[in-house]
Amino acid sequence: MEIKLLSEHYSKPEYQKFEGYKKFGGYEVLQKALKMEPKAIIEEVKASGLRGRGGAGFPTGMKWSFLPANGEPRYLLCNADEGEPGTFKDRVMMEKAPHQLIEGMIISAFAIGSKKSYIYIRGEYNDSLRIVGAAIKEAYAAGLLGKNILGSGFDHEMDVYSGAGAYICGEETGMISSLEGLKGQPKLKPPFPAVQGYLRKPTIVNNVETLAAVKYIIRDGAAAYRKNGTEKSAGTKLFSVSGNVVKPGTYEVALGLPLRDLIDKVCGGLKPGRKLKAVIPGGSSAPILTADEAMKATMDYENLAQMGSMLGSGAVIVIDDSNSMVDLLDTIMHFYKHESCGQCTPCREGTGWLSKIVHDILHGHAQVKDIDLVKKISEQMMGKTICALSDAAAMPAISFITKFRSEFEQHLNKHSHAAGAAHA
Amino acid sequence: MPKLKINGKEVEVPQGSTIIQAFKAAGTDICHYCWHPGLSVAGVCRLCMVQIEGMPKLQIACNTEVKEGMVVNNQSEMVKETVRWGLDFHLINHPLDCPICDQAGECGLQDQYMQFGKYDPEMAEPKVKKHKVVDLGPTVMLDTERCILCSRCVRFTDEVSKTNELGIFNRGDRSEIGTVQGKPLDNNYSLNTVDICPVGALTSKDFRFRQRVWYLKEADSICPGCSTGCNVKVHYNEEGLWRVKPRENKDVNGYWMCDVGRDTYKFVNLKARLLSGKVGKRGSWQEVEVADAARSAGLKLRETPAEGIALVVTGQYTNEEYKALFDLFSGALKSKNIYHWQNNPEKVNEFDGLLFRGDRNPNTKGLQAAMGTFGRWEDLQSGLASKKIKTVLVAGPENQATFPDLKEKITLLAQAQSLIWLTAGHNEALDQSGADTWQIPLKTYIEKAGSFTNHAGKVQSFKAGTTIVPQALTLTEASEIFAGRDLDWNLRPRGLGGPKVNYTTGQRGTL
Repeated sequence: MEIKLLSEHYSKPEYQKFEGYKKFGGYEVLQKALKMEPKAIIEEVKASGLRGRGGAGFPTGMKWSFLPANGEPRYLLCNADEGEPGTFKDRVMMEKAPHQLIEGMIISAFAIGSKKSYIYIRGEYNDSLRIVGAAIKEAYAAGLLGKNILGSGFDHEMDVYSGAGAYICGEETGMISSLEGLKGQPKLKPPFPAVQGYLRKPTIVNNVETLAAVKYIIRDGAAAYRKNGTEKSAGTKLFSVSGNVVKPGTYEVALGLPLRDLIDKVCGGLKPGRKLKAVIPGGSSAPILTADEAMKATMDYENLAQMGSMLGSGAVIVIDDSNSMVDLLDTIMHFYKHESCGQCTPCREGTGWLSKIVHDILHGHAQVKDIDLVKKISEQMMGKTICALSDAAAMPAISFITKFRSEFEQHLNKHSHAAGAAHA
Repeated sequence: MPKLKINGKEVEVPQGSTIIQAFKAAGTDICHYCWHPGLSVAGVCRLCMVQIEGMPKLQIACNTEVKEGMVVNNQSEMVKETVRWGLDFHLINHPLDCPICDQAGECGLQDQYMQFGKYDPEMAEPKVKKHKVVDLGPTVMLDTERCILCSRCVRFTDEVSKTNELGIFNRGDRSEIGTVQGKPLDNNYSLNTVDICPVGALTSKDFRFRQRVWYLKEADSICPGCSTGCNVKVHYNEEGLWRVKPRENKDVNGYWMCDVGRDTYKFVNLKARLLSGKVGKRGSWQEVEVADAARSAGLKLRETPAEGIALVVTGQYTNEEYKALFDLFSGALKSKNIYHWQNNPEKVNEFDGLLFRGDRNPNTKGLQAAMGTFGRWEDLQSGLASKKIKTVLVAGPENQATFPDLKEKITLLAQAQSLIWLTAGHNEALDQSGADTWQIPLKTYIEKAGSFTNHAGKVQSFKAGTTIVPQALTLTEASEIFAGRDLDWNLRPRGLGGPKVNYTTGQRGTL
């Protein structure tokens, strides 16, 4: 079931260091890439069908081609602010194979003509920061970064930047604001980052996994990369599986794998005696799937979109019958209330409001009509703000109360404090 | 110039305009808070949502550029519902303290809720508690619970005053406007943040709790505080003026004015004014009717030989008044002794780069144009010392606070035998005059029509707004009387009601 393309050597501790990485073919692809035409690399990436692995699933080659064709300086930013609850694959990649990311980034930077890149690492990821920082030093020492890389005439500087722990800095323009030294808040679009991003210069922001995958597309060619996955969701993907499975962890599988197989065959299934209740397939902002839906889902962008959810960052949260959906939604709503940057009114006020109502439902201080109110508020938060955080809060809320409404009602009937009801 | 359709109506706007600008140009109502024509686009209130044909999602009008042939509406049920909810999101944590809020009556939340609101609030949870009565600096008070975080004030201090005092701290629904610790909001443009605050979060310390705005009337005028000539409106009631606010004029002041200019209502009010004519000298003053004082002063002027008269004039009067005064002087009185009293000659050319100028007179340019050349101060001084100059007529400062040398000049000019001092305000130094003195009350800028010529030579006309001291004269009227003619007293404006007495105060608790 598992296909170890990116994660082939992750089990080898020496792969973290330059020498060990070299031993397993490290930086050979870079030599090949530097001899190619930058345009040819972009074409190869386009042909591979690689889509952004951070959450939105936007075609990477197409994103790169939005850059203006002029001599303006441009930046490549690696989004390693992995904050989506349930996601932990970027951390594994950075800590097991920092050079893989660096090599992918140099190739990508060469393709788009960028002389400077940053890896923006989540504030809590101290180890990742240390390990990637050390790897960049090694790469400089080996002449793989800096002036005239491997005699190609291509110059490139790379640096790490530590976030301060805000979820919103994983949104690409929020990340750019943070990197600029401003408060981490998403920027109005247009202008889009490819036209005016970091320091108002053309900027490409890609996820860790996306940039690392570029290496394998150039190594094996687009056609070989496409052998895994489906027509529209090509290649492999690392999934962070957590929750009520026997073997939670990070697994690389081909896109299009049935979710059932991912749970049962790759992750060892549920604990004995437990029944599957629901699955969040793509991080906490992805609408939840019921057990029935989960059994039919395949892990690719199209199928999950068809089912009204999304692949997101590939964070699969498996929920069995020992969990309360009300409790879970309360946790999720608290998260978005805490992480809303506060710029746009519907999100700033809506996330707080939702959190309060769901909290009241959990503690029996609400009435059945409040469940409908959650839906009404959520609907008014969708598609109304600068970034997608508002939608990210609204989507789970709507899906939880629609698909598990009876559980919310039962919870209220059981726990309602008749005298203390907030809505008399 | 692209054309677009707004709610079915065709509108043509300049290239590069945004949809919200097109709405404004077409005079079509659109709900918004964070957008302000003088500031950058923030796009955060999410209320100016419009539906654009061919686009699945609603777009914000403030950040969407008009393209040829666009079909835009904000009348569809989808837009209306979004705006209704948008307003409710603004209100769920907003305190319902309108009865004690200074913004009530001119509040963006109140007004727009009446027009676009949902009228059916569903928030039952407790509101977020934030800081109240935050002292931001010498001029402005902040209530963070009332704040809707439109960020206008932050953008103002970043982009216009460039003083960067304000910021938004914390995140989500805990966000609050504030200043960096130890750095107050203290700049000469701070009160503009109060003007652009759409709610009662930022209030002026000078104005808060003093008047309900719906009892105030409004009149357009020109700020007399310096030679920039900012376009302003003054707010007044029967008790007098209460505040001065900027009025948009792209050529002069944009949307702003300085804090110094906002004080120009104070010298207009009764408390600061000379209310009747005063004739006499130190220790023996007689209060007389204004007309009588002016008539006897005119007699004195006409009695004095031409070479024994001098006129001292400040740059605080209108072009029309200067003309009348100089016609009197060079005509009927045949005198050439005219002297320009410049209040702060060393600062005349100073400029802060935004609006405030060192020449603290509204009409220095107009005065210079009306008179051409002036006599030299040394000649006046020697003329006074040698008693050659016997009668001095002074068109004194209207805004006395801007004349640091006021006392010194009074002492100098009181060396004359007779001193005729035209002034809007009462003045203790003048009461010490040892010369035979006439104090004759003048009207202030808000009480008369006329024009000022600003630093750039732009002539700006204004109308009389209200009358505080009906018996006071304009310079034109005074010149008429001095020339020996009389006024049609019936045509002159009547005054306001005067201080209001609260008759119920004494009865409180006995009802």
